[in-house]
Amino acid sequence: MIEVRGLEKQYGSFRAVRGLSFTVEPGEVLGFLGPNGAGKSTTLRIISGYLGPTKGDVIVDGISVTQDPIRAKQRIGYMPETSPLYPEMKVGEYLRFRAELKGVKGKDRKAAVRRSLEDAGLDDMEGVLIGHLSKGYRQRVGLADALVASPPLLVLDEPTAGLDPNQIREVRALVTRLKDKHTIVLSTHILSEVEAVCTRGVVIAKGQLVAQGTLDELYELRKATAVRIRVRNLPAALKSEIAALEGVREVTEVGAASAFVRLEIAFESAEVGDLATERVVERLAAAGAGVLEVVPQSSLETVFSELTRVDDSGGGLAA
Amino acid sequence: MKGLLPIYKRELLSLFVTPVAWVVAAAFLFLQGFYFFLLVASYATTQDTIQGSGPVEAFFGQTALFYLPLVIICPVLTMRLFAEERRSGTIEALLTAPISPAGVVLGKYLAALTTYVVMWAPTGLYMVLLSRYGEIDTRVVMTGYLGTLLVGAGYLAIGTLSSALTTSQLAAAVAASGFILVLFGVGFGEFFLDAGPARTMASHVSVWAMMNDLSRGLIDSRRLVFWGSMTLVPLFVTVRTVESWRWG
Repeated sequence: MIEVRGLEKQYGSFRAVRGLSFTVEPGEVLGFLGPNGAGKSTTLRIISGYLGPTKGDVIVDGISVTQDPIRAKQRIGYMPETSPLYPEMKVGEYLRFRAELKGVKGKDRKAAVRRSLEDAGLDDMEGVLIGHLSKGYRQRVGLADALVASPPLLVLDEPTAGLDPNQIREVRALVTRLKDKHTIVLSTHILSEVEAVCTRGVVIAKGQLVAQGTLDELYELRKATAVRIRVRNLPAALKSEIAALEGVREVTEVGAASAFVRLEIAFESAEVGDLATERVVERLAAAGAGVLEVVPQSSLETVFSELTRVDDSGGGLAA
Repeated sequence: MKGLLPIYKRELLSLFVTPVAWVVAAAFLFLQGFYFFLLVASYATTQDTIQGSGPVEAFFGQTALFYLPLVIICPVLTMRLFAEERRSGTIEALLTAPISPAGVVLGKYLAALTTYVVMWAPTGLYMVLLSRYGEIDTRVVMTGYLGTLLVGAGYLAIGTLSSALTTSQLAAAVAASGFILVLFGVGFGEFFLDAGPARTMASHVSVWAMMNDLSRGLIDSRRLVFWGSMTLVPLFVTVRTVESWRWG
């Protein structure tokens, strides 16, 4: 459905996207995950045809976004992050305008607008001025706009950003309803969002692909292959003793101060990491050393630690 | 030209549901009405009339009152076209729809041009009034309106371009007014420059000279070509500007 090939985007001297490649299969709900400033919006804007890539290309349904933007855009329903809308128009007026702009024929337009209003939960809002709508309702108008021409592909940039927990739940329920009819790409910096609605995730940081796969695969990748431990009062003989523990491959001292020593303990494999960590900490404690800090080391961990975790029940707020 | 019609309709709607068009049209008609009153009053008290001069000719061509409102009005009609969309971010939704940049630019431009024509339309009543109390040459009226349309088309194209070059409506209006004034000023060179290429150029550019001709029923194809280019070149540059935003 989408093929992103070696995408690069340069703003002046800043490289927002650096050689990004991934694919989205038909019927997938792809979570496009990354910390703020990772290049998510830039990538989605290139897919939607708003920005041109400095290098590389995006193929949507076999059509190049750079070579044939108009035909590619016909297949995409895009919702920008802030859903900018014309405040002087009524909701229905705006959606009829958008439907016409997207080439929905006159006789089908009324039905298309009706359906998108229903799908986005805007049934009674047709006659309301956009300028009078709350943030949550504007977001829905943006969604209705993305849906109005029934495109096979939906690209949603942070669809739940700035919404309250109830609204977030509603948007997620909507995405779940829509995934039978559309292939969906949605970006987020919230981990639980991907868990709640997506079938697969692509993780980027600093404009580069960090990992991709199903949710289980991503969790697998997060497993630490090493830990860094900050220890107080480390007996000199203990280091070699720890290195001999089951599952531990190597122990190196990576830093020291007057009050503590920092050790990096590499495991034989990521699978034994949890068990080995337990053994190491137990051993240290038994020997009278004080464990001050245990930090798992994995390629994904730093990225994930920057992502916002939100309680899925809606109790937390998206930062 | 994909997208021209829906954008044209939306722009007209937003021009007329916001007070801008109404305020501008009201101020414009007040000025033109006052000016028409002065002209008619002056011609009514003049004893001898010169051939080729009368209220209609004067209305369209022979005083500065015709141009002064246009220097302000055309930029005000076009200032929001692109500047506002880029400031508020709605341009992102617009340009991710399957439309061509030329369609966007022409749709917006034609909406401004339509508003301009609608604004002038009530002045047709002046001609009806005059024809009831005296004779008027309908061909002169028509060439007068042709000139009005040409000048407006050019000024609005300049305004459209300047709106695409900035995200501030005020800056867009000021820049367009400035450029129109410069163009107007160059035309004045015709009156004080010595005979030579500079003066020839000035007289070709002069909106004054063109309106003078047209208000007497004279159609000079060189002027049509000049004002045609004054319209098409800014619009073409606007289309390229809109295309260039993708690569910013």
